[in-house]
Amino acid sequence: MTAITLDGLTKSYDATDMDDIPDNEIVAVEDVDLDIEDGEFLVFVGPSGCGKSTTLRCIAGLEDATGGEIRFGERVVNDLRPRDRDVAMVFQNYALYPHMTVRKNISFGLRLSSTLTTPEIDSRVTDVAEMMGIEDLLSKTPDELSGGQQQRVALGRSIVREPGIFLMDEPLSNLDAKLRAEMRTEIQELQNDLGVTTVYVTHDQTEAMAMGDRIAVLNDGLLQQVAPPEELYRSPANEFVAGFIGSPSINFFDVSVDGQTLTDPSGFSYELEAHSVEDDTVRLGIRPEDLTIEEGGDDMTVTVVEKMGNENFIYGTVGDTEVVARTEVTVRPEPGQRVGLSFAESAMYLFESETGAAIKTKTDEIEPQAAQF
Amino acid sequence: MHEKLEKEALWQFGGYGFLIAVTMVMMFPIYWVVVASTLPQSAIFAGGAGELPRLIPGSNFLANAEALAARPEVDFYRSMLNSLVIAVVYTGLALLFCSMGGFALAKYDFKYKRTLFMGILGTLLLPTNLLVIPLFLLVSNMGLSNSYWAVILPWAAYPLGIFFMKQAMQSIPDSLLEAARMDGASEFQLYYRVVLPSMKSSLAALAVILFLFQWNLFLWPLVVLREGKYTIPVAISKIMSNDMIAYDQLMVASAMAIVPMFVVFILLQRHFVNGILGGAVKE
Repeated sequence: MTAITLDGLTKSYDATDMDDIPDNEIVAVEDVDLDIEDGEFLVFVGPSGCGKSTTLRCIAGLEDATGGEIRFGERVVNDLRPRDRDVAMVFQNYALYPHMTVRKNISFGLRLSSTLTTPEIDSRVTDVAEMMGIEDLLSKTPDELSGGQQQRVALGRSIVREPGIFLMDEPLSNLDAKLRAEMRTEIQELQNDLGVTTVYVTHDQTEAMAMGDRIAVLNDGLLQQVAPPEELYRSPANEFVAGFIGSPSINFFDVSVDGQTLTDPSGFSYELEAHSVEDDTVRLGIRPEDLTIEEGGDDMTVTVVEKMGNENFIYGTVGDTEVVARTEVTVRPEPGQRVGLSFAESAMYLFESETGAAIKTKTDEIEPQAAQF
Repeated sequence: MHEKLEKEALWQFGGYGFLIAVTMVMMFPIYWVVVASTLPQSAIFAGGAGELPRLIPGSNFLANAEALAARPEVDFYRSMLNSLVIAVVYTGLALLFCSMGGFALAKYDFKYKRTLFMGILGTLLLPTNLLVIPLFLLVSNMGLSNSYWAVILPWAAYPLGIFFMKQAMQSIPDSLLEAARMDGASEFQLYYRVVLPSMKSSLAALAVILFLFQWNLFLWPLVVLREGKYTIPVAISKIMSNDMIAYDQLMVASAMAIVPMFVVFILLQRHFVNGILGGAVKE
């Protein structure tokens, strides 16, 4: 088990062959500082091309860092080959060896790089297969397995070597929704049981929120924020994080500030009571679940109502801005109807217009658990 | 519905009929070679000009084969052995070089890779005749002339084979190689234990191509080999080099020369089709 430290990690690619690239290089990851604790489950999340996979591949040793330092514990690993780093990786497409049986797939790493005898390897493989529930599949080849089974084999292959670090690159994105949810729990349980430091990459913020002890949000190669899921949701460091985390996404309004009054060209206005803002214009953010729909009001024109069964998503427009509210199933306005909107100041987020940095985040209290099992 | 099925059956019938006709046209010369190898010289052209040659096999095959064996300047059976040894060793060696070259070009990034690849493909444009003199000087300076190696080595890194393997290996996902690297494989183990076993079909297809290429090679062996080391195409040419052409012996030699090619193709046929089509369809 190993702690990971990224100290100013930078990865850029030479782009001399490509046109229109300033400085002839593409910076995939820029100056990332991050401490991942021993035994922690850290999730990298961000849109496509944000540098999350590149960061993971630098940790794995599949890419060379162009700057900064990667340390496992006290050991600097920048110049170590992947095989010498004591890490195991699960790939998006599982990357099972097509010509080998499941047993050989799992034991391949041990046979190559351990000093174990054949019976010892066999017993380790059998143990892992039992743990993953794939003991019946040991003599099959990957093309005879379903996606979920292949994923289990890929996990088994990484576990069997008892590495210091697990790296997972979008391991669930090829599975259907139901299986994905199942495997999500399984991976979490596995990580809890084994207690191995795990770095997990996903573009799916729901997956990130559900799985991570902490989440690192990346955008354009820059680390935006690292925090536990709840903190990320309630206290995003900037507009990007607020917009990326949460589904449906947070609603944003450009508002002008006049003393304590926030106004929007569409006629919307809000009196701040507990806070004050120095900027002339700010971005106001409000989560869909913090919006209350009021019949008979005149703030929003409803366009679509999505009835999810346990809740409703009400889509509409306020002036030119698209807005979504998440409501009880009993709230069901008709498309085209005008409704009122209200929210509490404590649920409001404010961001600087220029930089996107957070000025104010949620300050409402989370209700204590009403009942306990 | 019924009508549609009938129409489909008709199309299928017509299609197969066409294919059978094409196959017959292509097979006819080979069939005739086999038939002629069983006839005495006099019967081969018995029909005369303008008439169909005789298409029913005779019983002179063994006699023809014996007559062929009796010609020391041709030394046919020795040349058959020479050809087999050369083609088999060549195929093995060329598979090794082509797969290694293809692997490097498909899966590694290095400076001037594109230029190198273009250079390799460019050599395909050079006719063998142009290469004969420089190659001959090279081979004799190395002291290899009139040896099996003289025929095997110059084409061991066969450009078409390198190209073929490169294209095939591009279908191997990078993550498979990365997984093996994470598992502790060295770059050679990667090639040997992961890449080669997953390329069986392509290797088999290339083996057929390489074997046939070497088996049919004529000009180069004629230049570097002397009597006793001749390969089959050279030996066959020697049958014709006298005042009179012994067609019966020529046909027997040609018929026997086809057999190894046939065997190789039949053995690897299944892989050959897979290998040639591999990568054609996105999986």
